[in-house]
Amino acid sequence: MNELNLDRRGLLGAGLASAASLGLGTGASAQNPAPLAPHMSKADFAGAMKAFRGVVGNEWVFGDEEAVAPYAKVYVPDPLGRHVPVGAVCPQSVEQVQEIVRIANTYRQPLWPVSTGKNMGYGMTAPATPGQVVLDLKRMNRILEVDADLGTCLLEPGVTYQQLKDYLVENNIPLWIDVPTVGPIASPVGNTLDRGVGYTPYGEHFLFQCGMEVVLADGQVMRTGMGSIKGSTAWQAFKWGYGPYLDGLFTQSNFGVVTKMGLWLMPKPPVYKPFMVRHGEMADVPRIIEAMRPLRVSNLVANCNLMMSASYQLAMFRRRHEIVPDGAVLDEASLKKAAKANGLGMWNTYFALYGTEQTVAAVEPIIRASLTASGGEVLTSAEMGDNPWFHHHATLMEGGLNLDEIGLLRWRGAGGGLAWFAPVAAARGVEAERQTALAREILERHGFDYTAAYAIGWRDLHHIIALLFDKSDAEQEKKADACYRELVTRFGEQGWASYRTGVNSMDLVAQQYGAVNREFNAKIKRAVDPNGILAPGKSGITG
Amino acid sequence: MPEALLRPRPLCGRTLRSLLRPSAIALAVLAAPGLAVPALAGQKPGEVQAERAPDEIYAKTCGYCHGRNVGPIILGRKLPAETVKYIVRHGQNGMPAFRPTEVTPAELDALAKWVEKSKARKDEHGY
Ligand SMILES: Cc1cc2nc3c(=O)[nH]c(=O)nc-3n(C[C@H](O)[C@H](O)[C@H](O)COP(=O)(O)OP(=O)(O)OC[C@H]3O[C@@H](n4cnc5c(N)ncnc54)[C@H](O)[C@@H]3O)c2cc1C
Repeated sequence: MNELNLDRRGLLGAGLASAASLGLGTGASAQNPAPLAPHMSKADFAGAMKAFRGVVGNEWVFGDEEAVAPYAKVYVPDPLGRHVPVGAVCPQSVEQVQEIVRIANTYRQPLWPVSTGKNMGYGMTAPATPGQVVLDLKRMNRILEVDADLGTCLLEPGVTYQQLKDYLVENNIPLWIDVPTVGPIASPVGNTLDRGVGYTPYGEHFLFQCGMEVVLADGQVMRTGMGSIKGSTAWQAFKWGYGPYLDGLFTQSNFGVVTKMGLWLMPKPPVYKPFMVRHGEMADVPRIIEAMRPLRVSNLVANCNLMMSASYQLAMFRRRHEIVPDGAVLDEASLKKAAKANGLGMWNTYFALYGTEQTVAAVEPIIRASLTASGGEVLTSAEMGDNPWFHHHATLMEGGLNLDEIGLLRWRGAGGGLAWFAPVAAARGVEAERQTALAREILERHGFDYTAAYAIGWRDLHHIIALLFDKSDAEQEKKADACYRELVTRFGEQGWASYRTGVNSMDLVAQQYGAVNREFNAKIKRAVDPNGILAPGKSGITG
Repeated sequence: MPEALLRPRPLCGRTLRSLLRPSAIALAVLAAPGLAVPALAGQKPGEVQAERAPDEIYAKTCGYCHGRNVGPIILGRKLPAETVKYIVRHGQNGMPAFRPTEVTPAELDALAKWVEKSKARKDEHGY
């Protein structure tokens, strides 16, 4: 052990034996157990857990502190320890999910469903309110069907992007997957249900979802779209079915447990060519967006672009103290210097062309001309070679797998603290310019860095701001929590709200979307889940 | 044509790879019944993932960070197996925790011993 690098920034630092004392456990203890749901007695909880064991076996129900620990780890700030689950139950079949839901109704035990539970920076597997048992669907990881002709698949929730990719490769099926930047350990089903994004032309994941199977709160199984038609071959081919479109109801919500999902997969194109556009100044934000928008709206550039700030990029593979001394402000001059030394600009925008030799050759000059006119250097693998940042994004934009961005978690001190703040705007340069200025003002006043990117969608911007902090420092965690709330509130005052948020702020964001919308969701909730057993508090929805 | 033939089958091998080029898909489908389907190491359609060996878990989970400048190097450092297990389940600092549903108890036992006994790899880097 003594030979190890005991730099406290190291993941192995700080002395392993004392890991528990660093707050790596659940925060609960025998004297101070995680609280049950307010309406529940200890006997109810014990009864529910015993009944769950009867369904999935002792080894797949977790109740004591040590066993629940992996379910309690979060990156988000949680200074009051509100987001600690009381247990976990792990079914392997739809029938078991139905049984578990029935038991939960009997004991009124709330369940927090997750697919692969790697909602990192949004709460991992931790629930929005105290007293919930995680319904961990990772063991349900069957790849039920891949149709190479239609480019579709039908998956269970526990299938990771890695599993799906391996399956396609091993079976020589020339279809791509589309990954969020943390593909290997996350899932198509979980990510799509939180309406996540990726970086090929199929990057807006919910657009490419087709058909679901859902266990409802009363234990019934419902299929959406064409899935409820006996003998239909179009469940994964036609999204809408008949009557009200239901699939949206099960995303970012708590109206059902999704047990199967259909997705469309992109045929591997004959030519794939990744690009990076390097801009030299922080102030280039509006120019870049104005240049990219027409290319995106017209679909000449067909993938969701990542426009990465120098600080976000550097945080992946470098540590903050390498750029400025601990405690100092991350000033623009130091950033610029570090960016330059690593082949980066102050903004680095990644996009790719997909097609045939002819189509790519025809489109490339048009795109180059408008991006060069915006003041950017348009670069390809010819110039960037094995630059690790270029390599990372070139991998992502062809649905490849890596976890490079987890490096962000080590930016500051012992690390481990991250809350994504992701406000939406229309894809207009002036809006982005104002958002960047507001975010920097708030973050810097609280002592945090503007480590951010813009995901340029078809007509929208997701401003992806990584609030990075040292979670081993209780004071910093409190500050991060306060900073996050100010970000949400002040952006809201300008008409900018989040596309998605973490368990630490679901209620706050729901308030911004208005009383009528909230009450409508609550009415649906009361109708479909009268005992409130499914994920109370998800997206601020309670009955 | 029977419906099953329209589905991709677990084919592998170089000849089949060339058959599955888009222009040749129809041919591959027609030819499929006559081909012996070799046993695949990977996941089969409709079945849950089988138990994985330590090197596979390392390559497809741990090794994306450790040794790639994201997490510290863990191979060849004689890390005690118990320590490895604790860190996997609790997720130290910036590392996420991994649940028994992601890395089963049996897989973790084998993985932890494998990491303890592992040799350093020249191509790994990081701090
Ligand atoms: C460095 C870093 C980079 C990231 N990059 C991206 C990115 O590029 N794009 C992106 O989208 N995200 C990104 N994320 C966030 C997150 O890690 C991913 O979105 C991840 O895919 C979500 O975890 P998961 O797939 O395991 O889903 P889960 O955690 O399983 O599910 C997410 C949520 O959906 C709901 N849910 C899940 N399954 C079910 C079900 N079966 N029934 C009902 N409700 C369900 C639950 O509320 C759950 O909390 C990033 C995170 C980090 C730390």
